[in-house]
Amino acid sequence: MPALFQISEPGASHAKEACTTAAVGIDLGTTNSLVGIVLGDGKPRALAVDEGSTLLPSVVHYGEGGGPGSVVVGRAARRLAADFPRDTIVSVKRFMGRSSADPETKRLSPYRFAEGASGVVRFVVDGGRIVNPVEVSAEILRALRTRAEERLGIKVHQAVITVPAYFDDAQRQATKEAGRLAGLEVLRLLNEPTAAALAYGLDKRSRGMFAVYDLGGGTFDISILQLQEGVFEVKAVGGDSALGGDDFDRALAEILLQGREHTPRLVREAIDAAKQAKEELTRAEVTEAFGKRVTRPQLEEAIRPLIEKTGLAVRRALKDVGQKVDGVILVGGSTRVPAVRRYVAELFGMEPLADIDPDEVVALGAAVQANLLTAESPQHDVLLLDVAPLSLGLETMGGLVEKLILRNTTIPANATQEFTTFADAQTGMDIHVVQGERELVKDCRSLAKFTLSGIPPLPAGFARVAVTFQVDADGILSVTAKEQLTGVSQSITVKPSHGLTDEEIERMLLASIEHAEEDVQARLLIDNRVEAQRIVKAVEKQVENNGDLLEPHEREEIENAVADLKGAVAGSDHHKIKSEIERLDKVSADFAKRVMDRGIERALKGHAVDEFDKGELSPHAQKAYSALQDTEDPA
Amino acid sequence: MLDKFALLGVPQGFDEPPGIDEKFRELSRKMHPDRVPPKQRVKAAGQMTALNDAYKTLKDPVRRAEHFLTLKGFSGEVKMSPEFLQQTLDDREELDEAKASGKPLQDLARSVREKRDQTLAQVREIVTKNGDLEKAAELLARMKYYARYLDEVEGREAEV
Repeated sequence: MPALFQISEPGASHAKEACTTAAVGIDLGTTNSLVGIVLGDGKPRALAVDEGSTLLPSVVHYGEGGGPGSVVVGRAARRLAADFPRDTIVSVKRFMGRSSADPETKRLSPYRFAEGASGVVRFVVDGGRIVNPVEVSAEILRALRTRAEERLGIKVHQAVITVPAYFDDAQRQATKEAGRLAGLEVLRLLNEPTAAALAYGLDKRSRGMFAVYDLGGGTFDISILQLQEGVFEVKAVGGDSALGGDDFDRALAEILLQGREHTPRLVREAIDAAKQAKEELTRAEVTEAFGKRVTRPQLEEAIRPLIEKTGLAVRRALKDVGQKVDGVILVGGSTRVPAVRRYVAELFGMEPLADIDPDEVVALGAAVQANLLTAESPQHDVLLLDVAPLSLGLETMGGLVEKLILRNTTIPANATQEFTTFADAQTGMDIHVVQGERELVKDCRSLAKFTLSGIPPLPAGFARVAVTFQVDADGILSVTAKEQLTGVSQSITVKPSHGLTDEEIERMLLASIEHAEEDVQARLLIDNRVEAQRIVKAVEKQVENNGDLLEPHEREEIENAVADLKGAVAGSDHHKIKSEIERLDKVSADFAKRVMDRGIERALKGHAVDEFDKGELSPHAQKAYSALQDTEDPA
Repeated sequence: MLDKFALLGVPQGFDEPPGIDEKFRELSRKMHPDRVPPKQRVKAAGQMTALNDAYKTLKDPVRRAEHFLTLKGFSGEVKMSPEFLQQTLDDREELDEAKASGKPLQDLARSVREKRDQTLAQVREIVTKNGDLEKAAELLARMKYYARYLDEVEGREAEV
């Protein structure tokens, strides 16, 4: 920051203060963490904080290896990981905001977890000491802070810390808390893709649509941001959390291991050799690894299918945005691979921006933001308008999902949808809130369930329950259900305290694409079943109430069609159900007309009009009616 | 009924209001919960929600036209012509048959897309010439059917 080289005037305490403290930008990464700062020349730089490197491995070792009670962070800790796997916490970021009950927690690691009712993950390390992910992250932040202070010769009190765009409120809160524990005032939590865009100087002067293509060691993220007049609007986010440079290493290791034994030791050595070969092949055409000659085309052939997997998420995000992008920014060490750069260029039809070291770009952007926030004129501050990463909806008849807030809606946002009762005299309604892109409830993530009771007993379809979703700027969802006649209401706040992780979001997004056809079939079956049941009910009711309008042979024909339709509903062929609906429609058309005429006659004679409801329309007309009803705008 | 054009400070009309993006950003910078003191955040969140909704509505040609007609008093109960309803059922049947037989859907989708564009152009014509707004509302109600149809086709195409 510019204050760094200001000469303090004697007696001017604020100037002195400014001279001896600094605000930094921190990229608290899954694999590596970095710290950056803007110096007097206005340019951001990353500081060398670990054995001459700007990358501090996000590894924390507790105890023995470094002496009793000690804490070791970075490369030194990473070297201890093999000998002390349980006392050395690697990739702690994956545990932030996670519950100990989460099955994913156990799957992730070799660690010992402390039992407890708190619900937060707690590791048991170094002979019984208990630490949680916030504390582990705080050790990384503390190491960055103290090492930055040593490099700069001044105190570091304030920081902008970056988080993935997908981080939910609990994960953000945990990150903030870690900063506080490390003795830092967290000026702002900044989304990683936004930070990358800031590093490229995409500030007030720039405008346009930018894609941030972030391929790290183990994750891939794509974000599309629109930047205009200092406002960053996130237009779409997506990615694949199980795809990264580590997969490239494994693919190349397979080639190196061809014709050799696959012992765990050899496999590990092959992966290390592959990693090194991959890095050498970004510059050279040929290299030697594991006693074999490896060429760049060989590497590229091996990783081609992996690289192409990123295209799926990119195309989906571009489709959501529906506009061309003006620039592509590369983030993450794996974007150094020439084949990745070529693929990105091909995908977007333009050369990506890659002037800034892709490992450092996020930390540099955070440093820029820290500088802006501590500068004299805060109007330079950029505003970020974020989106809901996944659709939010409700369970409806037959286990289907009715989406109220669609993926990539700018938040804060709200939506209201009216629902009605399915059975006569129904007095309660179960509200089941789900998140995800799939058509069926069982394939989405369940967020909350509650019951609205006290609905006045009315015929089916008469009660009107308005369900409102409100998502605030932190991405927290509140749901309210209100019966319109009586005003009875019930609400719940869905706190994503153990919210979705990137992996879950990705898995769900990918699954929604893979299962689109399956979903359509399942949806058609359920739609047709619900439709059939409704029609059977309506026809039976009319036969009961207006049976006198039927000739015996007509009644028999209708009853047969009803029985056949019921049979079809019991099966799972939606075409069959549909054709039986049509048959029943046909054989009951005349009857329906007679019932309708009677209804009109009665209405004209002054009978209550609600005796003539849409239940008396012919099924076909009903269908057209409900098709239109269903498409009514939720707003 | 909240006037979303007024909320964004842009003139009412069928076409996208000029300067709407700039207005949205200008208001976002003022209203966003991130930009106000902590005490005002709850209120700011409500305002920002309404602003986001208004912007989303006015950026979409169909939603914008619907909102415009609603403000003019034409909304809700729209009587669809029986011919149109019959047409929707026929189109749907044709789509189901094409799906079942695995035929490509592009031609069907193109014809519906054309109908949609023509219908929207008709609405524009009526609205900009101060014509029969009730007729415009009926035409506009058809857009939902077209959108639903095209969603279904695109859902199928996305799998390929």
